[in-house]
Amino acid sequence: MSKLRIAAVGDVHLGEDVRGRYREHLAGIEEKADVLLLAGDLTRHGTLEEGQVVADEFRDLPVPVVAVLGNHDHHSDRPAEIAALLRDAGIMVLHDDAVVLDIDGTRLGVVGGKGFGGGFAGKCASEFGEPEIKAFVNHTKRIADRWRRALKETEADVRVVLSHYSPVNDTLQGEPLEIYPFLGSYLLAEAADAEGADLIVHGHAHKGTEKGMTPGGIRVRNVALPVLGRAYAVYCHDGDGHC
Amino acid sequence: MEAPQYVAARVQQALAEDERTTELGIRVDVRGEQLFLRGEVTSEERRDLIAGVAEEAAPGLAVRNELTVADIREPGGEEKL
Ligand SMILES: [Fe+2]
Ligand SMILES: [Fe+2]
Repeated sequence: MSKLRIAAVGDVHLGEDVRGRYREHLAGIEEKADVLLLAGDLTRHGTLEEGQVVADEFRDLPVPVVAVLGNHDHHSDRPAEIAALLRDAGIMVLHDDAVVLDIDGTRLGVVGGKGFGGGFAGKCASEFGEPEIKAFVNHTKRIADRWRRALKETEADVRVVLSHYSPVNDTLQGEPLEIYPFLGSYLLAEAADAEGADLIVHGHAHKGTEKGMTPGGIRVRNVALPVLGRAYAVYCHDGDGHC
Repeated sequence: MEAPQYVAARVQQALAEDERTTELGIRVDVRGEQLFLRGEVTSEERRDLIAGVAEEAAPGLAVRNELTVADIREPGGEEKL
């Protein structure tokens, strides 16, 4: 199996005023990476105008682009339309499902979606009490179940989970503890650990840290642009452990 | 007089919810007659816009705009997993 170079970034939060500025950094990406993953919060408040900026910024790249949406991309209640704009530009958009790409004979499976919050084992919300709390927790549970199923059904040489919300608290270090339950949920990590994955990429936690790990030992990377400080990160995967 | 903490919270809320800004990561502090804004934004235009929305939400306070514009560095080397 040949090595696979995975570029990833999240939380680019594009709008009209920065049109074209991010794209400058994508020149030559094909020399650095084989695929680009976008970990959500691509817009500032989820308008179709901003969605169009995102579509134009990432269209016609020499590497395939797979995206999930973030909470900001939901703010104007137009997530489906934004996803359609991105798809028209040739960007694959995951919504709790999977895609398998053939990259020079290596099958890369990408599974995921927005994810959601709830907190981390021992310090999390549960389906108890008011309907509002139950709905909050249930949303995450259903997402985690769909990811588990998608992972189970995805046959690939390398499997990556792409999320907006965080599956672990390692990569939240730097964020105030009080808001951890709004930044992610351990249920997402549990789904990946149950079915196995080679890497989990997420965004959302702008003040967090890049590197972490699930309880099962899957590498987790927070690729929020403010965390990376650079246009995108590149993770090289090789079945033999050397790139 | 309204406690400064409530004023700061109101400004923070305005920055998050105002359609022009929708900016969640700004630190707001009120000290006396001054309102401090700190954090990173993506452009000079947004820096000014955020200060404007903060000013509207807390009229009468002098806005000290300490926001910085973050520039995006080129992608560095790859990490081997
Ligand atoms: Fe974000
Ligand atoms: Fe987010």
